[in-house]
Amino acid sequence: MKNIFIIILMVLFFSNAFSQEVVELKMPKSDKVVVKLMFRNGSICDPAGKEGLTRLTVSTITSGGTKDLTYSQVQEKTYPMAARYGSNVDKEVSIFTFEVHKDFLNSFYEIIKGLMLTPSFSQQDFDRVKSNQQNYVDQVIRSSSDEEYSKMALEDFLFRGTRYQHMVMGKTEGVKSITLDDVKEHYKTYFTKNNLTIGLAGNYTDEFKQTLINDMKTLPDGNPVIASNIVPEKIDGINVEIITKDAFGSAIFMGFPIDITRSNDEFAALMVANSYLGEHRKSYGLLYDKIRTTRSMNYGDYSYIEWYDNGGGNMLPPPGVPRSSNYFSIWIRPVQIAKQLKQQYQELSDVKIGHAHFAIRLALREVDKLVKQGMTEKDFSATREFLRSYIKLYVQSPSSRLGYLMDSRFYGRKDFVNEVDDLLAKLTLDDVNKAIKKYWQIDNMKITIVTDNSEAEELAKSLKENTVSPMSYSNFVKSGLPKSVLEEDEEAANFKLNIKNVAVIKTEATFK
Amino acid sequence: MKKILMILLPLLICGFTFMKGEKIFPYKIHQQKLQNGLNIVTVPFDSPGIAALYIVVRVGSRNEIEEGVTGFAHFFEHMMFRGTDKYPKERYDEVLKSIGASANAYTSIDQTVYHMVGNSAKLELMFEVEGDRFQNLHYSEHDFKTEAGAVKGEYTKNISNPSSQLYEDIRNTAYDKHTYKHTTMGFLKDIVDMPNQYAYSMKFFERFYRPEYCTILVTGDVTPEQVMKLSEKYFGNWKKGSYTVDIPVEPQQNGTRVTHIKNGETPPVLSLNFKGPGYSDTDIDSPALDLISSIYFSNVSEIYNKLVVTERKVRNVRLGTPFSRDPNLITISATLKNKDDMQYVKDEIMKTLEKIKTTKADGKKFADAISETKYSFAMGNDTPGGIAGMLAYYIALSGDPESVNNYYSLYEKITPDDLMNIAKKYFIESALTIGTISADDTCPVK
Repeated sequence: MKNIFIIILMVLFFSNAFSQEVVELKMPKSDKVVVKLMFRNGSICDPAGKEGLTRLTVSTITSGGTKDLTYSQVQEKTYPMAARYGSNVDKEVSIFTFEVHKDFLNSFYEIIKGLMLTPSFSQQDFDRVKSNQQNYVDQVIRSSSDEEYSKMALEDFLFRGTRYQHMVMGKTEGVKSITLDDVKEHYKTYFTKNNLTIGLAGNYTDEFKQTLINDMKTLPDGNPVIASNIVPEKIDGINVEIITKDAFGSAIFMGFPIDITRSNDEFAALMVANSYLGEHRKSYGLLYDKIRTTRSMNYGDYSYIEWYDNGGGNMLPPPGVPRSSNYFSIWIRPVQIAKQLKQQYQELSDVKIGHAHFAIRLALREVDKLVKQGMTEKDFSATREFLRSYIKLYVQSPSSRLGYLMDSRFYGRKDFVNEVDDLLAKLTLDDVNKAIKKYWQIDNMKITIVTDNSEAEELAKSLKENTVSPMSYSNFVKSGLPKSVLEEDEEAANFKLNIKNVAVIKTEATFK
Repeated sequence: MKKILMILLPLLICGFTFMKGEKIFPYKIHQQKLQNGLNIVTVPFDSPGIAALYIVVRVGSRNEIEEGVTGFAHFFEHMMFRGTDKYPKERYDEVLKSIGASANAYTSIDQTVYHMVGNSAKLELMFEVEGDRFQNLHYSEHDFKTEAGAVKGEYTKNISNPSSQLYEDIRNTAYDKHTYKHTTMGFLKDIVDMPNQYAYSMKFFERFYRPEYCTILVTGDVTPEQVMKLSEKYFGNWKKGSYTVDIPVEPQQNGTRVTHIKNGETPPVLSLNFKGPGYSDTDIDSPALDLISSIYFSNVSEIYNKLVVTERKVRNVRLGTPFSRDPNLITISATLKNKDDMQYVKDEIMKTLEKIKTTKADGKKFADAISETKYSFAMGNDTPGGIAGMLAYYIALSGDPESVNNYYSLYEKITPDDLMNIAKKYFIESALTIGTISADDTCPVK
């Protein structure tokens, strides 16, 4: 597998002038050229009271015009090229990605240059983009996917009081207070030639590369101060926030900060443990097996040791979201609430709560077992073998390959995908079990649950009082379950959690 | 002469590199049938060490013709992961894990696709486990009933989005007889009843999981010889079936229909749905509608510039063309800022549709739309999984991956006059279903 990408002529080139780093992935056979511009800034640079400013600055650039062209004229010029461009803003980076067929590289480059160096920042574009962002933080996040809602709410809960707390899209009051002048100022301060990494992939000439490098040297010449070393508050016990709205099920996210990133060699050991516990969208994980396959409580259950963007839409982890502050998390996709169970099964007409409490216990019990008992040699070998193949799939397209290379720089690495393969090759079972013990526990964490108004209070009471929460099966499922599962159910239902606080909050009170 | 000019125009305007008569798909498609009728497609592609194995079953919610079993094609996709005697679920998972593949499946109205992208050195193992489950799937009644809970869980996650609710309601309102009346997930009452349909699930497997309904598609670092050999070895003994499905024909719609969801917590939505065509790679209707969508409803269209950019009453507006085996809905949807503008936005959309019927498209816009269509295609195919997923669609629609080349060649035949005729054919008020989401008690538009 090491030879997989041998055909891709990869030239790594560093330029220290103006602190610009250039990452190249030359592919002379390709029809396409990808340009990525990664700025070290992100939502941690949003000033207090103007949360969402970095996102809005980037959107005003990509959904706006240049000094010579209006937004509509830019659209008209790029449309026949089928050129694609967009952006991703995360906590610590903002990335612009431009992709175009080689036939149009030169004419499209004029647009790239115009947008990045001389954005029009028109009031009309700003108002349009701001209104959409405002709508996202006011309504969309609360009403379009309860899973995404609970994920964002967990981040808010985990990093409360830090620059990591607010959503990249911002907060209701924060977005409201942003002006066009704020955006212009933010661009000058944070989108500079001094915090930029340039990425280039595909079929381009050295001349094009040099033009791009020279032009990007004319970006604003600031020295942005980027907050680092985000320290989340220490968590005492298990703290739960239940968000209530009209909902069909209970969407759950839970986790705690971990002091490890891709920079650390130990990350490879934790990758193995995490893949075994809950590889994203795979049926092999322990959590998936216990919660979905055996008990069919929901659509899937996974775990993470770093941010995973748009988990509902991505099968493989997308690049472009490197972070210096990570957290371990478990995603339990929506489980049934009492109201639904009662409607569906006569035998469950007297249940007071749905499956959320039992699911949380079942998941945390598996983490606890892993911490106490570790993985077996057999599971370790199988999971490592899987990962050594699987990580190659992260970088199939030129854009994702380039993205991973650029993220590698963030972590002080040259090529994470290849380097982690070497680390995986050298790992021992002991390394993995030590990492599990070092980084994972179940006594101190935060949990967010988005659920129906009818479910919230009873669920809060059950969690707070550590009430026994037996799994409420329908008769036809229960009758066919093996004894071992019923015994495990009994243990999970009685599994004591170190619950400290449970708060029930209305949807309008979230993201304050 | 006019037609020639229209073909030449893109060349003049944007350095168009696609030549007339040239196939749009740049790779050679190797295609051969086994004796049992199973179609084998191989597309070698420059992706060292990586191969994609897709098995396309030309069965989706379209095939659910019986009362009470909507959502079954999708439910059955779940059951295909429940194992066989040789590879029970745990063993199957172990094998998948050892392959290091990204493996999953999806179901839509016309197709169920099982896909694996992984290490091409392990292609034989991929074939072995797939060949086994397609011929020897074996699950207990308990497993069946248990899996029904996961389907309910999937419905539970989806339905938290009001747009999913609206989509469900629009199909149910727009169709009377055809199976496009229900979504791929199925009606909730049928999802709730799924645990009681074990016997039907056996029938479903017998009917549709047969070579004549399936195509094996392999792309990436493989050779056609290797793929044929493995197909013969692992699928050669698969027995042909005899079931043919008789899909009800939808009667003509004779009047505008309306469905509404009252919800003031989410942005207001307007959805106008006209009965459109089914897939064809010989009729120009679908590609002509694609061009209408590009010229009149994309980010460069007049209506977008008016409603989204200038007046800012609308957050987005788009026209989605149907891409399905049978006649399906053409959907024009808009997300609004203020629900009180709903009637105005609807009127603006209807005015645009009238304009398409009566005014010939601008030559440059027409040429730009053709260019965008073809370059979009060229830009999109750079991974084995991406290529396989795209071809899987054309296989599902027509049975033949070469259909993609036929379909795109139709763009060379279309003229601006055709767009007017196609608009007159499909944008008819009596064939319209309106769907809305707003805080109002009833649908706020006429």
